[in-house]
Amino acid sequence: MVEFLSFQPQNQDCDFERIERLQDRMNRRTATICPERACIITESYKRTEGEPIVIRRAKAFDDILSNMTIYIEDDTLIIGNQASRNFAAPIFPEYSFQWVIEELDEFEHRSGDSFQITEDTKEKLKGLQDCWKGITHQDEVLRNLPKINLQAEAQGVLHRGGISMSGDGHIIPNHEFVLETGYGGMAKIAEEKLKQEGLTKEQKDFYQAAVIAMNAALKYIRRFSILAAQKAETEKDPKRKAELEELGRMFAHLMEGGARSFHEAVETVYLTHLLMMIESNGHSFSFGRFDQYIYPYYKADLDAGVITKEKALEIITDFFIMTNSLNKVRPWDHTQYSGGYPLYSNLMVGGMRPDGSEGTNDISYLCLEAMNQSRLPEPNLSVRFCEATPHSLIKDAAKLIRKGFGMPSVFCDEVVIPAMMTLGLDIGVARDYASMGCVETAIPGRWGHRATGMTYINFGKIMELIMNNGMDPATGIQLFTVTGKEGRDVDYQSYEELWDAWEKALKFYFELAIDCDMVCDRSLKYHDSDAFASCTINYSLERGKTLKNGGSEYDFISQSNIGPSVVGDSLAAVKKLVFDDHVLTLKELRQAMDANFEGPEGARIRKLCRKAPKFGNDEDYVDRIVADVYESYLQLLPNYHTDRYGCGPKGCRYTMSTSNITSYVPNGFDVGATPDGRLAGKPLNEGASPCLGADRNGPTAVIHSISKLPNKKIAGGQLLNMRFSPGALAGEENLEKFTAFIESARFYNVFHNQFNIVDSATLKDAKEHPEDHVDLMVRVAGYCALFSTLMPEAQDAIIARTEHDWQ
Amino acid sequence: MSALTGLLSNIQMYSTKDGPGIRTTAFFTGCNLRCLWCSNPEAMYPGRKIMYYASRCHRCGACVAHGADGSVIFGDEGCIIDREKCTNLFEMPDICYYDAYEEKGMEMTVLQLYGKLVRDRAFYENSGGGVTFSGGECLLQREFLYEVMKLLKQDHIHMALDTAGLWDFEAVYPALELADLILYDIKAWDRKVHKQCTGTDNQIILDNAKKLADMGKEMIVRMVIVPGLNDGRADIERRLEFVKSLGSCVRQVDILRYHKLGLGKYKALGLPYPLEEVPECPEEAAKDAVRLAGRMGLKATVGG
Repeated sequence: MVEFLSFQPQNQDCDFERIERLQDRMNRRTATICPERACIITESYKRTEGEPIVIRRAKAFDDILSNMTIYIEDDTLIIGNQASRNFAAPIFPEYSFQWVIEELDEFEHRSGDSFQITEDTKEKLKGLQDCWKGITHQDEVLRNLPKINLQAEAQGVLHRGGISMSGDGHIIPNHEFVLETGYGGMAKIAEEKLKQEGLTKEQKDFYQAAVIAMNAALKYIRRFSILAAQKAETEKDPKRKAELEELGRMFAHLMEGGARSFHEAVETVYLTHLLMMIESNGHSFSFGRFDQYIYPYYKADLDAGVITKEKALEIITDFFIMTNSLNKVRPWDHTQYSGGYPLYSNLMVGGMRPDGSEGTNDISYLCLEAMNQSRLPEPNLSVRFCEATPHSLIKDAAKLIRKGFGMPSVFCDEVVIPAMMTLGLDIGVARDYASMGCVETAIPGRWGHRATGMTYINFGKIMELIMNNGMDPATGIQLFTVTGKEGRDVDYQSYEELWDAWEKALKFYFELAIDCDMVCDRSLKYHDSDAFASCTINYSLERGKTLKNGGSEYDFISQSNIGPSVVGDSLAAVKKLVFDDHVLTLKELRQAMDANFEGPEGARIRKLCRKAPKFGNDEDYVDRIVADVYESYLQLLPNYHTDRYGCGPKGCRYTMSTSNITSYVPNGFDVGATPDGRLAGKPLNEGASPCLGADRNGPTAVIHSISKLPNKKIAGGQLLNMRFSPGALAGEENLEKFTAFIESARFYNVFHNQFNIVDSATLKDAKEHPEDHVDLMVRVAGYCALFSTLMPEAQDAIIARTEHDWQ
Repeated sequence: MSALTGLLSNIQMYSTKDGPGIRTTAFFTGCNLRCLWCSNPEAMYPGRKIMYYASRCHRCGACVAHGADGSVIFGDEGCIIDREKCTNLFEMPDICYYDAYEEKGMEMTVLQLYGKLVRDRAFYENSGGGVTFSGGECLLQREFLYEVMKLLKQDHIHMALDTAGLWDFEAVYPALELADLILYDIKAWDRKVHKQCTGTDNQIILDNAKKLADMGKEMIVRMVIVPGLNDGRADIERRLEFVKSLGSCVRQVDILRYHKLGLGKYKALGLPYPLEEVPECPEEAAKDAVRLAGRMGLKATVGG
């Protein structure tokens, strides 16, 4: 049995043996491809040709939920499935399909995130391809994307990410509202709205779709009621039999109205999540402040004597484990950006309530314990803390972190709340933030789809380009010049000139990225018009609009910026070596970069470059430059709007996020040698973290460097990832010190921090012998993944992170 | 004051082994003991040093070409340096492109060191930590140390001195007075053993311990156990009895197990490792000592 954090069971209500069985099964699960959804939606779309898309999608949702295979997993009190078997990924041909067909024979042979697929599935999917030719979301994006964008992508500066070929996801439903109202209640609201005079066509369509979608969800639930009752009949084990009977009764009327118990509430949260992941294939569908909205149900059941703390733990643990039964398949190209089968289903506990009081409760602790029991990549558990947060909660979090699987990540209210307020939010609203996906921040129930993870901008590549007058040495493509003359020649006379070039290039590519965001967003208005998900967000039912059409209360999005530390370190190296100390000429440096610092002269220059100040060591010289890089991006943002501007939501603006998943690894492939001494093809830095191995003065120096960044303006989420050796956290005293370290972030302007507690030797061994480390989980970049499922380059990047070994 | 400088071999931020809470440990260069087991030889001998790491060497020949009077030659692993002949050894860190040569020892002014130590203040306050001065023997640079301590005292930062106790009590008294905690090494009871292991008699060290106790200074006594050298049961027992006699100012005894982690540093400094044949201290021996201390009513830990 797993050693508890601080939980002490007082009775046998939580069946830990059963949890262990379920956990073990889930740990060894294999990813497969499931063709069911693809087949059903293809047929459904044929039947609804010509109808409004929002209704077509609602009807398809109904067809899928009515006809898909359903099953009840053994050993769990939380049920509901996304595809025909555990960890099978459904296919969403409406978003993009060509790659699926092209990669059919590759899925099994990927170096990371492989998927088993049967010949029968391949045939079924091939049979559908003609139906989707030229009409998917991706087709529309590619038709509308300006040619210059494709060239910027060829250079490696821009990457379209998931927005051009999948649904949006990135949403935290208003679970409180859903739990109070029920799917049935939401259908009723839509029905009432339909009776109103003067509705626009858009509103009528939306409300009809909402009724269809909510009723479809109820049908799906009732199918489980029947299945549970059937299973109960043949079940031999009396305890399980009784449970199945109970589930059968519960599912007979679940969500027709509000949740009637703690068990129903948790089950509903799971179902809402799952249903959104059948409706659309975005990711980062997140749970928000689970401890806050679940607690009233827990408290009521506890007071009424219908549940114990122990039973609640089992239910939450089952819920956690079951979120790992869901899956998503991405094209290989995207998989490199997001290795480890991530779904980024963030779940947050702790932190301030809207009224400013501290919200930690029993559920907060139970979630940490449930994660301790489940030990799987989902949900992506996060803890908020502020001055008033109980030390015992942070200590439990530290204990969990010490166990070495990367969770929870921690968010500091004193930094995040001011950052959210830069968006013009009232303090009460800002205090209700939660993490969505990796480290992106949003206000649950109030934000629309896709707050972040729009177009990726490779900052490292832009740095390389300005050292070459805008020309990409690898492809020869030149989309802008610094000097006004074509060709690679450029000779900066001062640091100011170099900086001006950076700003000019950044603005140039940022605007291309905005164009890309717009093209994708406009296409998704049609392809992601999802009534079910929309209804869970404030104002969508009120306005009769999908989220993509402006249904949400607020609308903020961010792109993903990769490599600010590489850029800052590089600018600092040029400033110091060329302009301050005159030990190198720009020409010498550029030649050495061209040669990837090879040969004795290259080695000499690279040494100088590496000795230049590096971010992460509390050196003002470079830390200020890195901060300038952030500011140069932030200052661009106020001038641009999202596609929903003027359609209803407040904001409709851009913010910044350094959440960049594993993209810092493949983005590095595209970038030649950089002035900081980084070799061609090597990873960029992860999030806001220092460059790999650049931090040499221990974890507090990293914190000091990070503290100089404009973290209180980065409302989209700022990512820091640190690695400690296990020995540094051993024993009670070290645990206390680590807890204090986490808590101290409040004083140092640290937005977010996450930790890997694995020594290099273990990681290296896990790379060589994955079979011995099946359950080794690591923090990647805002989320956790099983180490063995990552591609080798991402594994290397994690091994290369500076390990902080406390002496 | 500003003219005073100190020589440090390292500043370890986030140190967790040298006193309570999160600490920064400043390692001063130079020691008046020559403990055979010392794991910080770069801090034991005076002055700046050049470390050479063969594992980083690319055998590019830059140092071979540069070394004065043929003092650097290619070896089987990396290069072989004749340190006596190599008059330009301190130029090597700049000559070598691959960081095989590294200079140890940084001269700092009072304000520079103070500035560095005060940076982690919130970490100290939040964890009950502070600053530890170690070495080498930090009290050998007592004037410099005192000036730094005075500044930290104004900020109410907790300060610990990690010392081997071989100094003139009166001379270092001002620094002792500012310290909140003394980490005090007692390396052997038997005078002969002490002399053999550290190169010096222990009378002054024991006397100074008593004087610290008379001052009422809070102390953590550290006792290293080295197999075959100072691990006799009688010696350990006498040491513990002595510690007991110091009274309640000793809040804890840390039994330190001899380890060979310093071996690489000796190699890098081109020095012979004195205890090649001596095994590391078994955990059981340390636990025995802890139990013994426990029976005497002392609070003891392995490793601190």
